[in-house]
Amino acid sequence: MEYLRLAIKNLLRRKVRTILTLLGIGVAIAVLYSLLEFQQGYEKGLQGQLDQLGAHIMVVPKGCPYEAATIVLHGGKWPRYMEESYFDKIKDVDGVSQAAPILMDAIIDIKTKDSKIFLGITDEYGKLRPKWTMDGPGFSGVKAQETIMGTAIAKKLGLKVGDTFYLKQDAAGIAAGKDNAQLKVVGILDRTGSQDDGFIFMPLHTLQQIFKLPGKIVVVLVRAEKIDAGSMERTTADLRALGGNMNVFPLSELLNNASQLMQVTKVFVLAIVLVAIAIGAVGVLNTILMAVFERTKEIGMMKAIGASPKDIFALIWTETVLLCTAGGLLGIGIAITSSRGIEWFFRKALASQFSALPEGTLIGVSSGIVLLCVLLSIGLGVLAGFYPAWRASAVKPIEAIRGAN
Amino acid sequence: MTTSVVAEQEILTSDMPVNPSVATANRLGKIYRRGVEEIYALRDISADFRQGQFYCVLGPSGAGKTTLLNLLGGMDVPTSGNLAIAGSTVMDAGRVRLSEGARDKLRRENIGFIFTEFFLMPTLTAVENVQMPLLWSGKEDRKYAVELLERVGLGHRLTHRPTEMSGGEMQRVAIARALINRPRLLLADEPTGNVDTKTRDSIFELFRELNGEGLAIVLATHDRELATRIDHVMHLREGRIAER
Repeated sequence: MEYLRLAIKNLLRRKVRTILTLLGIGVAIAVLYSLLEFQQGYEKGLQGQLDQLGAHIMVVPKGCPYEAATIVLHGGKWPRYMEESYFDKIKDVDGVSQAAPILMDAIIDIKTKDSKIFLGITDEYGKLRPKWTMDGPGFSGVKAQETIMGTAIAKKLGLKVGDTFYLKQDAAGIAAGKDNAQLKVVGILDRTGSQDDGFIFMPLHTLQQIFKLPGKIVVVLVRAEKIDAGSMERTTADLRALGGNMNVFPLSELLNNASQLMQVTKVFVLAIVLVAIAIGAVGVLNTILMAVFERTKEIGMMKAIGASPKDIFALIWTETVLLCTAGGLLGIGIAITSSRGIEWFFRKALASQFSALPEGTLIGVSSGIVLLCVLLSIGLGVLAGFYPAWRASAVKPIEAIRGAN
Repeated sequence: MTTSVVAEQEILTSDMPVNPSVATANRLGKIYRRGVEEIYALRDISADFRQGQFYCVLGPSGAGKTTLLNLLGGMDVPTSGNLAIAGSTVMDAGRVRLSEGARDKLRRENIGFIFTEFFLMPTLTAVENVQMPLLWSGKEDRKYAVELLERVGLGHRLTHRPTEMSGGEMQRVAIARALINRPRLLLADEPTGNVDTKTRDSIFELFRELNGEGLAIVLATHDRELATRIDHVMHLREGRIAER
């Protein structure tokens, strides 16, 4: 028989108490694990989205740049426009490798909340998407009544290349004088795994004509020649020097700001989680200390039959570390098995602050975070077990025995 | 100088067999302090406990029986006098000569303890309980633990837990546990205090057998009838050896 087995048997002696203590630690570790995974998943997801955008700098009309970024990343309706003529100035700025003007609009079904997002693009957009592949010939001209669809929206609408897509304005659109349209499907994109899968693309001028927004665009995506900090700073400054009713901001800044905002939230939630973990640790300390008090006679007996204070210390410490480690593993298990639910909760809870949470799974399984949580659980056991183990090791066998006899 | 244990039947030093000494106490004293109050638990106890002998420490509650056993087991240290256990000097000229760790080792290797309340681990089986002292010395000897349980008549109860055993059986497991480290001295503090007369007699017979095999046994009891069956009896009264 070895220490570990004896420790396990001791813990199983008070099953309910052990389970409750395990749950206390487990829930705290589960929240911590989920939070760290969420943070990591969020940053990766956002980075992935920005990478897929194929641009380094975004030029948008004056207004909240984050709102603009959200619209650009996820698509939608943003009633702020800038003149298409700015695009010519932007593409001529030193350090700009490629630039693509985009107009964006959406038709939202009030009843179903279902939205169709339209992007008016030019050939330049395609240059930012060198990996795009599609079924169909593509646009035949800059004003063609044609559409290229993302794979998801095409599937949803049941359209294939050669079909006609009937664009029907909603009541507000008709009231605003916008046109209905019939567009020939000239391309269906292969799956990109990005927001593009849900967009309906058409030539920029076609969208401007249908939505009665002649000469207007919503964003210019800019790809820089060099992306080192100095070059980016210079290009951004030159773009800002163009003046006009524009906001210029590098996407790295957007990522940093979004990460910082998430960081602030994380620190706040982390503080709460750490308090929960501390409470869990105090719970463990209390449980083990109570067990030590209850087992004073038994500890006295162990010493009487030859256990040294070091042996007793090791036994009680082993029990505590075991309890916390098991609690930590339970917590990680809980977090992984209920990750979808937890993610849904985080998304809900953070919706007001992060309207642009990346799509896809944010809470996954990463070995680094698993290891961190396991080590934290062990550390917790080491700390929480120290005092009870010391108390137990200090039990005088003679007093314990006298207490019994 | 080591003086005698005052025995009911004889003065031990007069005709002591020449067996080697397992524990020697000379003018041993133990004082407990409670605030400014001093409680004399033991005074001037001198005795020589030898291999293969059976000793009884007889006295009423509070006479100092358990204190003496604790000193002989190295679980506590005397306040005065000299004490040697298994060849090691624990106390000499009023100074403690062995550290707590060394006393733990001494106890682990030389002394077996039996208590009134058995103190078996409820979650462990009989054989696991017997093996427990080996845990502290990092050894494993299930075969010997089984042998000991068979020796105390519990070969059929190896995998039973204490809750599934009678008081007598539990005490037999405790005896087997006390023997697992092959001790030279067995200290039994009221070992039959929690069992009926029939079980008491059978446990006593087991002690007799073990003693017959060369084990030194010191049994503390207030049971006068039991004391009449033991060769050497030390009467304790208010911490002193009494003349009866």
